[in-house]
Amino acid sequence: MDISRRNVLLGGAGAVGASALGLPRPALAASGPIKVGWLAALTGPSSAPAIGFNRGVVFAAEAINAAGGVKGRKIEVITRDTQGDPTKAVNATQEMISQLKVDAVWGPTNSGESLAVTPIMARAKMPNIHPCVIDSLIDPKKFPNAFRLSPANFQWDDAVRHYCLKVLKVKKVAVIGDTTGYGVAAANASTAALKKDGADVVYHANIDATQTDMTPDMLRAKNAGAEAIVCWSTSTGMDARLFNTRATMGWDVPFVGHPSMSSGEIGSLVEKPANWDKVYAVGYRSCSYDSAGKLPAHSQELVDKLKGKVDLKDTLLWWVAGGVDAINLIAKAVEVTGSTESKAIIGYWNTLTKYPGYFGTYTFSPEQHNGYPTDEVVMSAASSAKDGTFALAPGYS
Amino acid sequence: MLASIIASGLAIGAVYALIGITYNTMYSCSRVMSFTAGALGMLGGVFGSLFMVRMGIHPVLALVLMLACCALIGVVTEFVAVRPVLKSLDQHLYVLTTLALALLMQQFTAIEWSTEPQAFPKLFGIGSGIWDEKFWVPVLACAATIAGLEYLYRRTLVGRAFVAVAEDNFAARALGLPERNLRIASYALAGMIGGLAGFAGGQLLLAFVANGPLLNFYGFVPVALGGMGNNRGAVIGGIGLGLFQQTANFLVGGIFSSVAVFALFIIVLLAAPQGLFGAPAARRV
Repeated sequence: MDISRRNVLLGGAGAVGASALGLPRPALAASGPIKVGWLAALTGPSSAPAIGFNRGVVFAAEAINAAGGVKGRKIEVITRDTQGDPTKAVNATQEMISQLKVDAVWGPTNSGESLAVTPIMARAKMPNIHPCVIDSLIDPKKFPNAFRLSPANFQWDDAVRHYCLKVLKVKKVAVIGDTTGYGVAAANASTAALKKDGADVVYHANIDATQTDMTPDMLRAKNAGAEAIVCWSTSTGMDARLFNTRATMGWDVPFVGHPSMSSGEIGSLVEKPANWDKVYAVGYRSCSYDSAGKLPAHSQELVDKLKGKVDLKDTLLWWVAGGVDAINLIAKAVEVTGSTESKAIIGYWNTLTKYPGYFGTYTFSPEQHNGYPTDEVVMSAASSAKDGTFALAPGYS
Repeated sequence: MLASIIASGLAIGAVYALIGITYNTMYSCSRVMSFTAGALGMLGGVFGSLFMVRMGIHPVLALVLMLACCALIGVVTEFVAVRPVLKSLDQHLYVLTTLALALLMQQFTAIEWSTEPQAFPKLFGIGSGIWDEKFWVPVLACAATIAGLEYLYRRTLVGRAFVAVAEDNFAARALGLPERNLRIASYALAGMIGGLAGFAGGQLLLAFVANGPLLNFYGFVPVALGGMGNNRGAVIGGIGLGLFQQTANFLVGGIFSSVAVFALFIIVLLAAPQGLFGAPAARRV
């Protein structure tokens, strides 16, 4: 065929017409890398979880890419350090959506940032998976794109309540929270749920985390006849003061509650190591070792893979495992659907039933985006940290 | 219970009193209410923990180093946040500059140190129960500071020069006193007193970045109660505040104790706006 002006014009008009009619465009992006946006508070306050998650993210992406990628497509992780600042998280999210055009977002890693960016990602229909615990962050109607990788706070509360009532078999419980928004909300929810399940909440208090002397509240709890103290605070200083006061009072009441009670910093804040005994913090079955010192087989498999590549001494295994799972979940969605379209990734996640991640066995549906199973949330012996894992609290098999 | 109230009330009251004296020392030489006092207290604990726990330095040397660092920060405060606004004291710009500097210190400490409380070691290892050193060390530090300041102001030439500047800095300058240098020295002294508050109260408060705003707030109460620039008033106000706060903790609980403290504070100021020990402001006409 001759190349004439008429032919060129006809061809051009046809192409414009076809694109206007919505005919398929050449799939240029389908051969490019899978872009994963990673909103991580890698520096600044509360950066420890993101640093742990990041080790898992880097490990998983490198492992997938070394094995040839996902149907030949490499995983490209685009990280933005949000520094724990919601404003920076919002800016990074907007950059990822409108400029970087990522295929999915993993993170942010703290609830404050997540509260700010979740509606933005929902408007852009951006597939998002995150580990933040605040209950309201997951709502499949309002945020059909948002999925939770870790337990929600109500699942922590379920596990704590179950441990108090079914394992420790106590009836009289004191509930203590700090005076932050989280501490007040968590303590109120905990008290309500305990009462609903027939427990006698003999003492309920919110304590300023900077209060130097915990004796008044501990005395009141003791005088009220508390057989266990449920504690909801992210303040390790407050936790340590409570444990020290318990020892000074010569009281052996168990503490059950927030994961911060197992933070390594408490080891240096308690006056004697024994003050940290009989403290049971929220943990995860996948990252807890049994009385023989053994992790579940699937978790041990991950630890073996990480050996020599990822340091677990100064972090928690669940953070690293969560990072690995997040990247694998995104990669798996692209592998199964063959697409990086938002609809395809979200649609795939909505079909997952008992997906065997390293951190948890996830199940999502269009109506339920809290994918972590409550029965995998367990209590850990708070002072038993070993390479990012903890001993199961007494009472678990 | 009474013994516990007295022990911890006196201890935390002594820390508040020292922060009150820090406010006063800066105020008397510059007429500036510097809101870096709480940050200095916070840094006293952080430097103490840094030198003793992380670097393993002997407590005596750690104390000296901490005092030197806090004195330097006091001097920086004078240069950065106070001197530029001295000419327009009536506009109260110092509230902004000193608060901004305190915030700067706070954020820097949070990033470089930790946002979580860190351990502060025992200094002497003496005492247990209500006689634990965490209760009597702040009281001892407060008593030593008062004695030291009394000696400085009453028995030394430099101290008398401080008092002269505090009384009337124009007259002091007219007499040939180096008012600017004395003000710098005064801020260095205030830095040391603030740091000592955090160091002595370290076992109670821990080395914690959140102590800054707390001490700023509760350290200001004895100043207002005792009268601006009145160290004796600050000590009585501080100890009284500590005892009242601890009693309220026992009787009505943590959250309500703050309400009780500030309700009393407002009532006292309504009854005696110049503070319990301050003289009413008089202006010669």
